[in-house]
Amino acid sequence: MPPLLRSKRLSMELLRPLLPDSEWDRVQAYPVADVGFGTDVFGTRRELLGFGYALGYWLHRHYFRVVSGGHEHIPKQGGGVVVGNHSGVLPFDGMMVAADVFRYTEPPRLVRYMVDYFVYQVPFVGAFFRGVGQMPGTRRNFDGLIEEGHLVGIFPEGAAALGKTAEQRYQLHPFTHGHVELAARHRVPVLPFGLVGAEEQQTMVADLQPLARALRLPYFPITTTFPWLGPLGLLPRPSRYFIHYGEPLHIDPDALRSIDVRRHEVERVQDAVAELLRHGQEVRREHQGAPR
Amino acid sequence: MSRSGRPPVELANDEVHEPGTLRAGRRRIFIAGARRRVAVHLIERLIADPDVEVVMGVDRGACPPTLLGCDPERFVFASADLSRRRQVDNLFLLDRFRGHPFDTVLHLAFQGNPHGYDFQSHEFNVNAAQHLLEASLRHGVGKYIFLSSDAVYKLGPRNDFKVREDAELNLDPDGHPILRDTLDAEFICRAKMDSPKCEVMVIRPSGVFGGGVISGINLLFESNPPVLPVGFDPMVNPTTKERLARDLMLAIFLHGKGLFNVAGSTIGPLSRFLEERGIKPVRVPGPALKLANRVQRVLGMTRYHAGFHPKRLYYSLVLDDGKFERMFRAHAHKVLALGRQGDELE
Repeated sequence: MPPLLRSKRLSMELLRPLLPDSEWDRVQAYPVADVGFGTDVFGTRRELLGFGYALGYWLHRHYFRVVSGGHEHIPKQGGGVVVGNHSGVLPFDGMMVAADVFRYTEPPRLVRYMVDYFVYQVPFVGAFFRGVGQMPGTRRNFDGLIEEGHLVGIFPEGAAALGKTAEQRYQLHPFTHGHVELAARHRVPVLPFGLVGAEEQQTMVADLQPLARALRLPYFPITTTFPWLGPLGLLPRPSRYFIHYGEPLHIDPDALRSIDVRRHEVERVQDAVAELLRHGQEVRREHQGAPR
Repeated sequence: MSRSGRPPVELANDEVHEPGTLRAGRRRIFIAGARRRVAVHLIERLIADPDVEVVMGVDRGACPPTLLGCDPERFVFASADLSRRRQVDNLFLLDRFRGHPFDTVLHLAFQGNPHGYDFQSHEFNVNAAQHLLEASLRHGVGKYIFLSSDAVYKLGPRNDFKVREDAELNLDPDGHPILRDTLDAEFICRAKMDSPKCEVMVIRPSGVFGGGVISGINLLFESNPPVLPVGFDPMVNPTTKERLARDLMLAIFLHGKGLFNVAGSTIGPLSRFLEERGIKPVRVPGPALKLANRVQRVLGMTRYHAGFHPKRLYYSLVLDDGKFERMFRAHAHKVLALGRQGDELE
């Protein structure tokens, strides 16, 4: 943990000006079940949560200027699986969904993603992700989060979907089955969302798989700006995001016993996400004033 | 099935014991590795307990000074090489214990300090585990407890937020030889866990704090200064030698067998535990950690071996001791009712 972030005063105060007082109070009110040193059992720390939310809030409101709808479908309490499309080279889409849910739910709810393992091998990044409540994607972690009544975010396309090329925009990669199986096992709803805008934040030209394998990364992007501009080339363009949540889907418990039922349930979730994507694109066209 | 849903413990004479019930009679306890700090602390507690008839401590070398003044009727110290089968057997055949044999054997004599580890240490670790268990089974011991380590768990970015007893083990052939010895000793115990005569328990404690305790985390904390990798702050739930001693007492007094994690009640980032003790660590880039540790050891600034459990300072290892909590700590009142120290359990 970098000293700057470890210091409670600095991490909380550093980005404090980015949050209005009302949002600041909501972060303070967010319940972190302290198990000893101000962290919950998953490692979530309020000061890092405040840091992360302040950054997310600013990006949500001023940089990506998120337009969102369907918040009434987000469960106010209890566990749930938040599932949607993934894209954009760097996972700003996950951050924006988490910021959006936190901002528009009362009391505020934190989406805790099942994150790819490689993140936790990277110094500072892994510690930061854990500090803001994001967990490595294992079944036991999922079980623990759901049992404690959290919303768990899963991108069933996998981390490799972040490396979609420009030709693959808004095409969903095949969904894995894990989210359906886990939702059925815990009898919790799946909340689908569609996110439009992340595809345009970076234009991915190619994916250097041999280099990615050598660096143990899910993909290695070549974009119109990276690696030509160095690390700065990874910064996203400020394209407007459109996020829409669908009605919660209740998964047939038979998905645990039949592969056919499970496949059908996965298709149902994927169709719901695809429909929300289409809806988001329509809203974007209306918003831009373009003819349909 | 028992009321708790777990299979009851069946003994040879057709007795069936509910896990967590109090073992009958007064305890006659054999403790191997009596010079360890945890063992000394445990022995002091045991001999203060009226329901312990006698404790025999065994180790190589002399009796620890703090135990020299103990009542010889309650505590006996013997020096023996536990890697020798005959010497182990002879301990069970001492005149005093021939008529009234031990009912509990606690194996704490594992040489887990990487400093000076050689083939003899390996031979001692594996042979002592085997000879002690075999002698216990031969001489009708009712309970055998082996104190293992949390280092047996595979550690990496995929770790669960809480590690259960069934989590993946570190079977890496390139792992430290002590780790392989620990696994060998565990497997020897696990092979006998279905014994109808003896309740075999393996306890995996999280890092143990306490003055002079030879555990990875304690040696790290006693370093001057502790060296940690930049950008990592693993979650841990270390225990203390006092808490571990109390947990071992519960394991001795109550029925139950199998594999158990035991850990401290406080969970938090490693840096917070350091901060709480007023210790300021030095951070170095990950690739330089081993070198920095080596230099520190050469200069006598630490006894911590970064190479023993190389990922320990990078990835979280929080033990889930819910199983021990349900089967033992939840029944501490039975121990308390008889005047033992169960009331001090957190």
